Amino acid sequence: MTPGHSTRHEELLPAYALGALDGGELRELEAHLAAGCEECRRLLDLWQGDVEELAASVEPVEPSETTRRRIQRLAPAPAAPAPVVAIRRSPVTRWAGLAAAACLLIAAGSLWRQAQLGRQLDQVGADRDRLAREVAGLDQQLGLARAESQRLAESLSIITSPDSRLVQLAGLETTPQASGHTFISPQRGAAVFYASGLPASEPGKTYQLWWIQDGKPISAGTFDVDEQGSGNLRVENVAPPGQIQAWAVTVEPEGGVPQPTGTMVLKG
Amino acid sequence: MTSPPPDTEPALIHRIASGDGEALTRLFDLHSPVALGLLVRILGDRAEAEEVLQEVFLQVWTQADRYDAERSSPRGWLLMLARSRALDRLRRREARRRREEESVEEETRLDRIEPDGTGRLEAAERKSRVSSALGVLSPEQRHCIELAFFEGLTHTQIAERLKAPLGTIKSRILLGMNKLRQALSTS
Repeated sequence: MTPGHSTRHEELLPAYALGALDGGELRELEAHLAAGCEECRRLLDLWQGDVEELAASVEPVEPSETTRRRIQRLAPAPAAPAPVVAIRRSPVTRWAGLAAAACLLIAAGSLWRQAQLGRQLDQVGADRDRLAREVAGLDQQLGLARAESQRLAESLSIITSPDSRLVQLAGLETTPQASGHTFISPQRGAAVFYASGLPASEPGKTYQLWWIQDGKPISAGTFDVDEQGSGNLRVENVAPPGQIQAWAVTVEPEGGVPQPTGTMVLKG
Repeated sequence: MTSPPPDTEPALIHRIASGDGEALTRLFDLHSPVALGLLVRILGDRAEAEEVLQEVFLQVWTQADRYDAERSSPRGWLLMLARSRALDRLRRREARRRREEESVEEETRLDRIEPDGTGRLEAAERKSRVSSALGVLSPEQRHCIELAFFEGLTHTQIAERLKAPLGTIKSRILLGMNKLRQALSTS
């Protein structure tokens, strides 16, 4: 518990978990949490558990087969286990004396041969499983590459659209090395945003892109950056460029917020 | 990310993070109906909800290493990702609707209709089964909590929407959440 902890902070937690807190109360609680209040963090985890229950209280809806197939294509399941090889055993018949001994010898030889074949089958099965895993891995990479390729093709079509406009965003005081580019296609009402040189977001935080319209910020979505500090975002339903006064990126709680609350890192 | 015990749901996320496609399918089979239910509830459009569901699982596939088992269950993480994406779409849709409405209002004054969100909320209330936990709340408390959770509205925005004092909205949410906590802990 931090020295500034009070029941007032505790009373703000349910609304914070719900995403309803705004204005000065939001800034106050976030500052308190950032100061490391363990009691508030513990209580917040409990409230977030309740909010998750609330989310799960909806009536379930079974996804379509198309959606399920797309997920499976993205991540194909490994191959089925090796088929069981049926081994026919010779019936043992009772013969007297030599005949019985001969049968036992034949059976022993057969068992030895079966064991040998079994070992070979195990080896073949292991090789097959290894190859199946490799194929599954390649399929996964292919699925990801296809999804990425489709995303890039869509982004490229916005960038190369004849009506495409470019807005450049520059890093601010805390991130002078960062930059951003927004390509907007007014005809399609869509935009693609690319950021570079941003520091990795802290745990529980994300970057959020905004456009300013009539003096008000409108969320364009959240994004994270890779190890090189690059990130991108595709935005639908963008206002016409003539109505947008500016673009900006702020640091916000994971999941994003309705109105900007955190540090601005890019603007243009 | 440390290795969670095998055969648990956190272990599924751990497997997804290491590129196990079967684990992703398993997670999809376990939780996609609830996630899709949540998306339909927020967006009110089945086709759009399925589209967002695919985006959510793509995000799970590519960002499973960001999952923190100490902060939420896999289901909770998945549902919060779904909610966040759906609310993003809802906010953009609302911004576009406002723009279109403003341009229409310049030409003609039509009879005022309920905002999309409220209408959809009420329609969903009629159609969907009311959860037992929410059933313990007063209608006003439930409405405020649902506006915050399913439409992503803040205290101030709810007060504007319902034309009620800000303090009243804050009280309804605080009391409502406390009642919800009690109901969930006793159910």
